[in-house]
Amino acid sequence: MDDLLADFVAETREMLEASEGEIIAWEADPSDRARIDTIFRFVHTVKGNCGFFDFPRLAGLSHAAEDALAECRAGRREADSALVSAVLAIIDRIVQMVDAIEAGDDFPEGGDEALIAALQGECEASGETEPAPVIEATRTGVDGDDAKPASPTVQRSIRLPVDLLDRVMSGVSDMVLARNDLGHRLRQAGNQPTIDGPFERLTAILTDVRDAITRMRMQRIETLFAAFPRLVRDLSAELGKQVMVDIEGGDVELDREMVEMVRDPLTHIIRNAIDHGIEAPSDRLKDGKREIGLLSIAARQAGNTISIVVSDDGRGLDEKRIAAKAASTGLISEAQAKEMGREKILQLIFEPGFSTAESVSNVSGRGVGLDVVRDNLEKVGGSIKVSSQPGVGTLFTLQIPLTLSIIAGLTVEVGEQCFAIPQSFVEEIVHSSAKALDFTRVGETALITFRGNRVPCLMLSEVLGLPKGDLAEGDHTMVLLRLASGDVFALAVDRIHNHGDLVVKPLAPAVMKAGVYAGSTLLDDGQPVLLLDVTNIASAYDLVSDARMRVKQAAAEADEKADREAVHAMLFTRFDGRRCAVRLKLVKRIETASADAIDLSGRVPRAVIDNEILPLIGLPEGQLPAAKVRLLRLSDGESELLHAVRDVDDAVDLAGKLKPVSDDPLIEAVTLVEDKTVSLIDAHEIFAQFGESPEAVARPTCRIPDSDWARTILAPLVESAGYEVVETSGEPDGDGSEVVIMLEEEYEAAAALEIPLSDRIIRLRSLPQGAPGEDTIYRYDREALVNALRDARKPSGAAA
Amino acid sequence: MNELMVLAQIAGRRCALHAHDVQSVIELGKVTPVPRTPGFIAGITALRSQALTVIDCRLALGLDTAEWPTDERAAVVHVGGHSYALMIDAIEDITTSLDEPGQITGGFGPEWSRVATGMIETSSGPALLIDLTALISGPGEVAEAA
Repeated sequence: MDDLLADFVAETREMLEASEGEIIAWEADPSDRARIDTIFRFVHTVKGNCGFFDFPRLAGLSHAAEDALAECRAGRREADSALVSAVLAIIDRIVQMVDAIEAGDDFPEGGDEALIAALQGECEASGETEPAPVIEATRTGVDGDDAKPASPTVQRSIRLPVDLLDRVMSGVSDMVLARNDLGHRLRQAGNQPTIDGPFERLTAILTDVRDAITRMRMQRIETLFAAFPRLVRDLSAELGKQVMVDIEGGDVELDREMVEMVRDPLTHIIRNAIDHGIEAPSDRLKDGKREIGLLSIAARQAGNTISIVVSDDGRGLDEKRIAAKAASTGLISEAQAKEMGREKILQLIFEPGFSTAESVSNVSGRGVGLDVVRDNLEKVGGSIKVSSQPGVGTLFTLQIPLTLSIIAGLTVEVGEQCFAIPQSFVEEIVHSSAKALDFTRVGETALITFRGNRVPCLMLSEVLGLPKGDLAEGDHTMVLLRLASGDVFALAVDRIHNHGDLVVKPLAPAVMKAGVYAGSTLLDDGQPVLLLDVTNIASAYDLVSDARMRVKQAAAEADEKADREAVHAMLFTRFDGRRCAVRLKLVKRIETASADAIDLSGRVPRAVIDNEILPLIGLPEGQLPAAKVRLLRLSDGESELLHAVRDVDDAVDLAGKLKPVSDDPLIEAVTLVEDKTVSLIDAHEIFAQFGESPEAVARPTCRIPDSDWARTILAPLVESAGYEVVETSGEPDGDGSEVVIMLEEEYEAAAALEIPLSDRIIRLRSLPQGAPGEDTIYRYDREALVNALRDARKPSGAAA
Repeated sequence: MNELMVLAQIAGRRCALHAHDVQSVIELGKVTPVPRTPGFIAGITALRSQALTVIDCRLALGLDTAEWPTDERAAVVHVGGHSYALMIDAIEDITTSLDEPGQITGGFGPEWSRVATGMIETSSGPALLIDLTALISGPGEVAEAA
C-alpha cells in the first residue's frame, strides 16, 4: 500500500514537471488546444489514480478541473484567462496536497469549494484577479505551520546582470592565465614540494570555478522554445492548416549567446515545415493521415554538442522535384542527378538560391533560403542535415556547439606570428615534404594531392599579406581544412604550435572588416592571437565549390580506400588532461600501482611493480591523485618505464597523418582521432631520458649445492632467474625466505638425519626419469627448473 | 560645461578626451600586428584577459608617423562595446573644460575636422575635443554619427 502511494506521488510529480512548461504557455494562450490536451491528461490521471486511494478532496478538485477542460475540448466553452487562473489554482492546490500526502500530514480543511466555484466561472468579477487571493490563501494555509521543510524541488535562484557575469568570467580567465604563467615559472625553477602542493590545489580550485562560471552563463533552451507554439499556431491559422506542436528537451542548457544564434535558423525551419511540409487538412485526410499535422521539436545534449531535431509528419521532400529544380538552375547536370543518391539530393536544398516553392508566399520561398540558415550555423561551428521519407515527413537535425566562447583550436605559426584555427575544420595535418602530397604549382595556384584528389593550397602568409618566410616552398606544414560544404583545401603554415581550448573574444569592427578573422584569444602566456575565419577565407579565394563539384567529390570519397600505413596505438589521457597515444608495440602491460608502491623522493619518481623498480613518469606534480594509479608499462625490449595515466581509452589505428610538434619534447607528433587531436608520445625521447633496465627489488637468495657442477652450470641459470646465489657453506638465514636447491641424494640424507629444512626446496635428480610420487626435477630440464625457481619466489609459493 | 577632460598630445596637437570615456592609461606592452587591416590599426595587445585593439592615432588622422614620436603609454577607451588602446604622443593633464565645444571659422583642417567635435577652452588652454567614434574609424571613411 505504501509503495502504491509513493508511486502515486511520484507519478503525479513527474507528470506535473512534464506539463509545467505547458501550463505556463497555456496561460499565455488559453485557446491553445495542445496545451489543454496536456493539462486535461494531467488532471484526468490524477482523478483516475485517486480512485485507488481514499482522497476525496483530491478527486473532487481534479474532477472539477477535468469537467471544465472537457467542456473546452468539446468546444462548448471558451478557454479564457479566468478559466486558466482557476485551473492553475487547482493544480497548485493538488501539488500542495500531494506534498502533504507524502509527508503524511493532514492538509488544512477548506478552500476547495472556492476553487471549484472559480472554475464554474461564478466569479463574474474580473476572473484574473479573483482566484489569486484564493491561491494566496491556500499557500499561506500550507506555510502556516512552517515546521515542514519546503518542497525539495525549490531551487534557490538569483537574477544577475549579464555584464557582471562577464566580468567574473574574464576575472577567472585572468586567474587562469596568471596560474599558467606561475606554473611555467615553477617548472623552470624545478621541483619544490612546499610550493607544488598548494599550487596543485589552486589549479584544481580554479578549474572548478571556471567550470561553474561557464555553467552560470548557460540558459535553458526553453527560453527559445517557449515562443514556438505561438509561432506555429499563428502560422498554421494563416495558412489554413492544423498543426500540433510537441516540444521536448526544454531543460537542455546552452550558452545564452548560442540561444540567440539558433533562434533565426530554427524559426526558419519551423516556418518551412508548416508551409511546405504539412499538408492542408483535406489532403491529409485523403492520404489517410490525421487532420492535425504534428511538428515536434526536440533538444538533446551529447557531450559538447547539442542536437536539435525538428520533424514534421507532412508530405516529405520530393527528391525528383529537387533534382529537377537543381538541374534546371544548373546546380547539377541531368546525368549527375541520375547518379546521386537520395540523401545527397536532399542536401541540395541547402544550396544558395534553391527553393521548390512554386509561388512565393510571405512565409517562405522568398529567396532567403536554407543556405542562409546553413551559413549562420556554420559560423558558430554547427551543422545541419536533412532526412526525409516521402509522404511520411521530414526531419532536420541541427548540431551546435555548447558555447560560442570556448572552442578547441589549433595554433599555427607563420612568419613569426601565431594564429589559431578552429579544430572543427581541421581534417588532417601533413608535412608537405611528404612524398604523397606532391606539391605543385599550376599557374599561380598551388595544388597538393590529398587522398588521391588534387586539392587547392593556400599559403597562409599570402592570405595574410605577410612577407614570405625563409621556408622553401614544399617545406611547409599543411593543415587540411574541410569546410562544412565538404570542400577540402590546404593551408600552408610554417609550423604547428599547439592545440587546446581557446576562449574566443570578439574583435573590433575595424579588424573584422578584414574578413579573415573570427575573433581573438589569449594564449597561456597572455599573448593575444587571432582566430582565422576559415569559411570566409575559403570563399574569398573561391574555394567553396558549387554543388556540381561537390557531387564529384562525394563520389570520389565513396571510392576512396584508406590504404595508408596505420600506426597501432594505445590512447590514454594524461594527468594534465592531454589526450595522448603511444605506439602499441611499446605497451607491455597496463598496471595498477597503489600509492605506497610509488617513491617520489628521487629526481624521477619510481614504482615497484612485480618486485621490480621502474622509473615512473607522467605523475601530476605534488600529491598523488589517488590511492591507486593506472600505469602503462612501456618497454623497448631492453629498458622499461612506467607512464602514469588518468584514463586508458582504447587501442586505435592512427590513420591520420602524423604532424611533428615542438611544444613538448616528449611529444613526437599530433594527429587526429575521431576529430579530436591526439599527441603521440615520442618513444625515443622518453626512453632516452627515463628508460632503465628493470632493477629487481632486494633479490631473493638461493642456496645451491656445494659442487663444481652447481657453481658452473646451475648458478648462472639461478642468477638469470633473479636470484642471488649463496653457497651451501654459508650460514642459512633461517627466516625461510631463501630457496634451497638440493640434489636428491643430499635431500634424502638430510631427511634421514631429520635436519630442519627450508620449506622452499627444489630437489634435483640426476636421471631423466624420476621415481613415481617424488617431487623432483631432472637437473637438465631447464624449463621445469626455471618455472620452479619462479614459483618459489612468490611469497606464498611453496616449493614446487 | 565643467566636465573632466583628459588632455593628450596627438600628432603634436593638444586634444581633449572625455575623462569618462578613458578607462585607464596603460604601458603598451607587446603589440601583435594584425595583417590585412588598415595601417592605423597597429595590432592587438592583451590587457589582463581582454584583447585591446591598438589604434595609432597619427595614422587614424591620416598624418605621418615619422614626425611625431609616441611614448610607450596608451589611453584605453571603450567605444561601441569594444576596447581600444590609443597610441598618442603623450598624456598631458586632467583638467576641466570651461565651456561647450565650439567651432571656429575656417575649421581645423580637413584631418582634424573629421575627428573633432569642436574646440573647448580648458584651464590649460584651448584643445580639440576628439570624437572617438570618428577617430577609430580611421581615415578615408566618414564615421556615421554615433
